[in-house]
Parts: sequence; structure tokens; C-alpha cells
Amino acid sequence: MTSAALSPAMAALVLFGGFFFLLAMRVPVAFALGLACLPILIVEPRLSPMMLFNETFKAYNSFILLAVPFFLLTANLMSVGGITDRLVRLSRAMVGNWPGALAQINVVLSVFFAGISGSSTADAASQSKIFIDAQTREGYDLSFSIAITAVSAVLAVIIPPSILMIVWGGVISTSIGALYLAGIIPGLLIAGAQMVTVHIYAVRRKYPVYPRATAKEFFLSMWQSIPALMTPFIIVGGILLGWFTATESAAIAVIYAALLSIFVYREMDMKRLHGALVETGKLASVALFCVGTASAFGWLLAYYQIPKALLSNVTSWGLDITGVGMFIAFVFLVVGCFLDAIPAIIIVGTTLQPLAQSVDMHPIQFAIIGIVSLAFGLVTPPYGLCLMIACSVAKVRLRYAIKDTMIMLMPMLAVLMALIAWPDLVLWLPRLISPELLK
Amino acid sequence: MKKIIDGYHLLLTWLMVATVAILLIPVTMQIVARFTSLIPAYIWTEEASRFLFIWMIMLGAMIGIREGTHFEVDVWPELKPRANAMLKIASGVFILVFALVFVWWGIAFTQFGWNQTSEIADLPMWMIFIAWPVTGFTWVLFQGEAFFHNFRVLAGRAAQ
Repeated sequence: MTSAALSPAMAALVLFGGFFFLLAMRVPVAFALGLACLPILIVEPRLSPMMLFNETFKAYNSFILLAVPFFLLTANLMSVGGITDRLVRLSRAMVGNWPGALAQINVVLSVFFAGISGSSTADAASQSKIFIDAQTREGYDLSFSIAITAVSAVLAVIIPPSILMIVWGGVISTSIGALYLAGIIPGLLIAGAQMVTVHIYAVRRKYPVYPRATAKEFFLSMWQSIPALMTPFIIVGGILLGWFTATESAAIAVIYAALLSIFVYREMDMKRLHGALVETGKLASVALFCVGTASAFGWLLAYYQIPKALLSNVTSWGLDITGVGMFIAFVFLVVGCFLDAIPAIIIVGTTLQPLAQSVDMHPIQFAIIGIVSLAFGLVTPPYGLCLMIACSVAKVRLRYAIKDTMIMLMPMLAVLMALIAWPDLVLWLPRLISPELLK
Repeated sequence: MKKIIDGYHLLLTWLMVATVAILLIPVTMQIVARFTSLIPAYIWTEEASRFLFIWMIMLGAMIGIREGTHFEVDVWPELKPRANAMLKIASGVFILVFALVFVWWGIAFTQFGWNQTSEIADLPMWMIFIAWPVTGFTWVLFQGEAFFHNFRVLAGRAAQ
């Protein structure tokens, strides 16, 4: 580091200054991250723009990230192959007679969906198409409909399987099986918090209710959904039993969804299959392209040891484990406003790990705090992918739905605080089922 | 000209769809080989899937520029069509710079890997590295088309 042309402070200024300037100029995030690296790569004698290619190549040449297109494809196959329809029917039979029925169904469907696909963006994309229009036609406010669709979509990365857990497990060497088990209770708690929020909204705004489903309807819809509801058990069980790796489990999810669509529900044809493949490729590649340039950006930050400098003060604050947990959640929440979750794990997760270790926080609890905070980042402006997707389906601008989204985030943040204060909420289930993974 | 670009766009989309569909094959083979003796446990499956994956990302990133699907952050209030076109031209200049970086250093990157072969399957590495300059060229083409359109809006000769 003796011959660096730029001081770390100077480099940080160029990187962050450049990045935010380009964002404001409406340059796509992926390009802004890459372009912000450029001046340094040219000025610094030991570096060259070639490094941009090495780092992006290394980021994409990863078996772990393959799970991203697979989970997106699973989600798209579910929609075109009739699985989603069955799950909507089941959700309706379960919560249709509660106030704000359609919005409650929206949340419950997200829970089921989260158990099959591991991608929140896929959840937001498919459920926006189902619910936003349907809810507004039944008299729900548009901004409420957008907000509840977007915030319930974040469950997909908290309830297993989850793309973020696979990436976290790969980048920070944590057991993915244990993360999957650890995500179940927090995911259900957050879903519960959302249902309470919907209930309060629905009662105050007199949102419509459906007639109660008969026992026959309930059991029929349950019976039809059983094959689909088996998916999480196959995936999580297969990983815990060591049958397949996390990425392979995503491929299994695709194949299982395809088999169900073709042989059980019989709603798949070539045109729909092609559509699902196109959607998957487009969404997966723009999201992943950003991972490459973010890796280059993160690599440069590490080259100048900027994260270390930023964190050097924190250890001297003498925070206890809860304090450190709050700090970690805060950092991820702020970063999540500007970055997608996968690049954020690569850049920030590795930086905060020593801090978590310094107070003996369990790696699984650290991971869940990080993943839940980053999941909330999927709906926080200016860069909240799920909210952006829901708004674009509804053809309104992002700011239109921000207020309702923030209101719905409050109870979810309370759950996050609880996860920080009581590690057992996270660790109890993995400890019960597979204690050997926690060591 | 528009027809040629449309055709190229369609070709790229088809190639991307093919990569997504084919991606499943090596990963599935890997699992099948582990539990049955139907096929031998090839070791090239993992490498093959990674390389297809890289091409999928780059093909999608190329298409993303023409379709405007790369995610951007929107901090501006509602703009008039002309102001909007001006902002688009400004951000387009930056995209063009990035595209040219991909072309210029991407060619060097490909030359650097010209005689390398992959670790497992012995595939020539230029087949992978060439994805970067190809992406750069494609962006120049698509962004050039967008510039042309935005200048027409600015001159008041085209609708949004």
C-alpha cells in the first residue's frame, strides 16, 4: 500500500461521490458502480481497467449464483403452470372471511410462495400482476395495494429456500441448511406482523370481506395444493440430509415445478414455457450483471481498506451484543436503500463479520439479522427492487406508494428488533432439528 | 436499420432463452449421476453450467440496454419530454463510455485469454472472455440507436 497514488480518503470520495453522482444522473445502478471504479483504475499505477473484467468474470463464474435464475424460473413456472392458482384458492379458503380478505390472501400466498421460490423479485413481479389490479377493483386504495404486495414479497428471501441465504452461506461460509431452518420463525413472525397491519387497515378503511369457505372447499383446495406445498420439505430436507447442494436444490425446485405443471395440473404449453424462460433470463441477468460491477466496486473498497477505516471507531464504542446487532441491522438497512441485496452481502457482509465475532454473536444470528435487514431494503426507496417492480406494474412512480410502505415496515422493524434482542427466536429451530449444524 | 437491429435483438433473446434452458441440463446430470448409475459422474458439468451462466448474464445485460430494464434510481420529479430526453442523453453518454471501456479493454482481455484453456474441460477461454467485448459492441449499437431517438425528441420531431 506504500505506492498507492490515492489516499484511502481520496479513493472513498471518488468511489462514493462518483457512484451517487451517476445515480442522480439516472445511470443504471450496475453501470454507475462500474463507472465509479474507472477513474481510480486509470490513475492508480498498480491497477488497470482490466481488473474490472477479472472481477466481473470471477463474480459470474460462480456455481452459487446459478441459484438465482433457477429460483426465478421456478416462480415463473408456478405462475404459468397453474400452481399459483391452486395456492390462491387455498389462501382464500383460509383467510377469505377476514377483513381485507384479498390483502390477507396476498400475504398468505407470499408465505406459500416463499416456501417454494427463493426470490423476492419474482414474488413481487408475479403477485403484482395478480393482486394490484384485483384489489383496486374491489375498492382497496392503490397505494395500499402496491405497498402490501411489495412488503409481503420480501418474505421470499426470509422463508426458505432463499437466494440470499445461499449467497450468504457461500460468501461468509455459514451452513445453508442451518440458515434455512433459522429463517422459518422470523419469516412467519414477519408475515404475522403484516397480517395484523392489514387487519388494522381493513377495519379502519372498511375493506371488503368474502363469505366464509365451507369445510369442503377448504379440504378440496388443501388436497389440490399438497403436491405444491411439498416443495419446501423436499428442498430443505434434501439439503439437511446431504442429498444435494443449495444450487442443486434450486434446480430440483425448477424440475419439480415443471413436472407438477405438466403432469399434475396440466396447464403448461410451449408458448407459456417460452414466456417463462424469457422472463427468467431478462430479470436474472440484469440483477446478476449488477453483482459483477458491485464486486469490482467492493474489491476496490477493500483494496484501500476503506470498510476497515469506517469500522475502526465502532469497536471502541464498547457496544454489547444487542448494540452490535442494532448497529449491524442499521448498516444493512441503510446500504439496502442504495444497493441490491446480493452485492450488499458481498461488500458489507464480509466487512461486518469481524465486528459480529468480536461480541461472540452466533454466525447464524448475524446472518439472519443481515438477511432480514437487506430484505427490508427491497422495499425502501430510492432503490427498493420489489417496490419498483410493484409500482411499474401499477404504472405509477415510486414515491406514490412510499407512505403506506413505510407504515407497513414499522411492525416488521419491531420483529427485527425482537430477533436482535432474543437470539433464541432465530436459533431455537436449527438447534432442535440439527444441532450439529450450529457448531 | 431499425429492422436489422430488431433482428439482432431477437437473435440475442433467443440465444439467452437457450442458455437458460440448457443451464438445467448439466446441473440435473450432476444430481442424477450421484444417485443412479444411468450416466457416469462427469466432472465437466459444473464448469459447463458456469460458462453458460456467464453467457446468459452477458446476453441479458445486452438486451437490457435496448429494453431499458437495467434498474435505475429515480430522484427527479416528473419531467417534460424535452427535459427527459436531455437527461436520457446525458446518462446515455455515461453508458456509452462504459460500453467503449468494455470494447477497448475487453479486446485486450480476450487476447490475454487467447491461449488459455479451462481447468476441467479444457475449453478455450477466449470463448468466454469474448462475451465482454461483444457486450460492449452491442451496447454501442443499442445506445447509438437510443441517442438518435432522443435527439429527434429534442428537436421536436418525434414523440416520447
